[in-house]
Amino acid sequence: MNDDLTARLEPYLANILGVPDLEIANLARIPGGASRETYRFRARYMREGTEIERGLILRRDPPASLIETERTTEFRAYRAFHGLGLPVPEPIALEEGTEVLDRPFFVMEEIENCQVGSILSSNPYGEMREKIGRQFFSNLGRIARADVDEIGLGNLEGERDPEKCWSHEVERWEKVIDEDEREPQPIARAALRWLKRNPPPPAQKIAVVHGDYRTGNFLYDAGGNIRAILDWEMAHLGDPLEDLGWAIDPLWSHGDPSRPAGTIPRGEALAIWEKESGLKLDTAALAWWEIFASLKGLAIWISAAREYAEMRNADPVNAFSGWFCLAFHNKVLADRLGAA
Amino acid sequence: MNPEIDQILNLSALKLMTDLAPAMGAQYDQGMTQVVAALLIMSAQEYDRAADVRAAENADMRVLFAELAPVVGDADLRRELEEASAGRDESLRVSALNAANERLRRLLIRLQVHIEDSGGDTRRIWEVLKAMAGRRTLVLPG
Repeated sequence: MNDDLTARLEPYLANILGVPDLEIANLARIPGGASRETYRFRARYMREGTEIERGLILRRDPPASLIETERTTEFRAYRAFHGLGLPVPEPIALEEGTEVLDRPFFVMEEIENCQVGSILSSNPYGEMREKIGRQFFSNLGRIARADVDEIGLGNLEGERDPEKCWSHEVERWEKVIDEDEREPQPIARAALRWLKRNPPPPAQKIAVVHGDYRTGNFLYDAGGNIRAILDWEMAHLGDPLEDLGWAIDPLWSHGDPSRPAGTIPRGEALAIWEKESGLKLDTAALAWWEIFASLKGLAIWISAAREYAEMRNADPVNAFSGWFCLAFHNKVLADRLGAA
Repeated sequence: MNPEIDQILNLSALKLMTDLAPAMGAQYDQGMTQVVAALLIMSAQEYDRAADVRAAENADMRVLFAELAPVVGDADLRRELEEASAGRDESLRVSALNAANERLRRLLIRLQVHIEDSGGDTRRIWEVLKAMAGRRTLVLPG
């Protein structure tokens, strides 16, 4: 299958890059989440008399997606934040048709010699956890600081009214639960009612929300430098506290919620975000977005369970998400809301 | 049975993680193997407890319905709660326990909405929900 992909991708990329002699080698699938098929390959070509070889990444839509995401959104977000100087891979090509590789896809730069932290590990970053944590929350603050119109993402999906972005997101994820739940979810339903009855204050600003900013969605090198923020497919406009609530969710804390993302103490993480974002952190608002984050998690895991159970996408990651992560977030929400 | 099913699943996961995954050349295959191993470990936990977890949940919900039915103003809902609270699990097959569990969960959601809307005390419901969530939590080796 990889040979077939190579043969079909070569002429396409040669045309896009304007290099007729382009050759692709070593195309192989790599882990990249259940919402896109991810492949790594080498591209070789001549440009202005110089032989160039570079690593590239192909992200292709799967037959069925965990979340109905727009690859165009992801591509545009890569382009905007790469241009802003954040550690984001350079986007190369976006193909929304199905003629080339049967499904839409995009190609971007490969960030080489890096690794990704696994949520299955109790301490994925070792001695580098504090260095990584400071960059992790600093980068998130910089995303929140960006002016959505200046970076060309002012028309991204989402809600531009600061009063309504919370309800827009609650309705979005409630719809996912309505459509995908295979068994009654009393904790998710109670959380939805709580979120509606206890709305947060209006957003301080409308920002680009990455949508899945967490452990596992960034690459770091051996020196503990974050080199790439990945998986922008759920990017949208909204309250930047949405990303912060998701980033500090206990699911991503590697067993120690006092150190969000398994990195630095919570207080330090929030202070860094506040400084870099230029926003004043409202702790009551953040508490609401933390409940929302776990509810959003439940919605995603409910979808994953359905994808797997109905054999639309039998990726084992979907089984893991629909079982382990679902149980985890049910516990988080029951403990938090049950104590209220 | 000797060996037990959970032991077979755990040792199979260990084999996958320690011997088979490292020998795989492709990064994607290695990653998927690790996830499959995690699923086997989770299955081992669930094998031992599956019937017990579901039977305990069902029992908790029936006790809760019996306690709260008298304070429910909606006559139809009160009758359904009383009927459900009088039920019992006839089979310990997981499929049968799941079917009962789904019916009881639906009723639990309706009960909680009713109590919230009428300004009642939901603490006992949350006690049951916390116990349910706690029983279903899975533990993975670090």
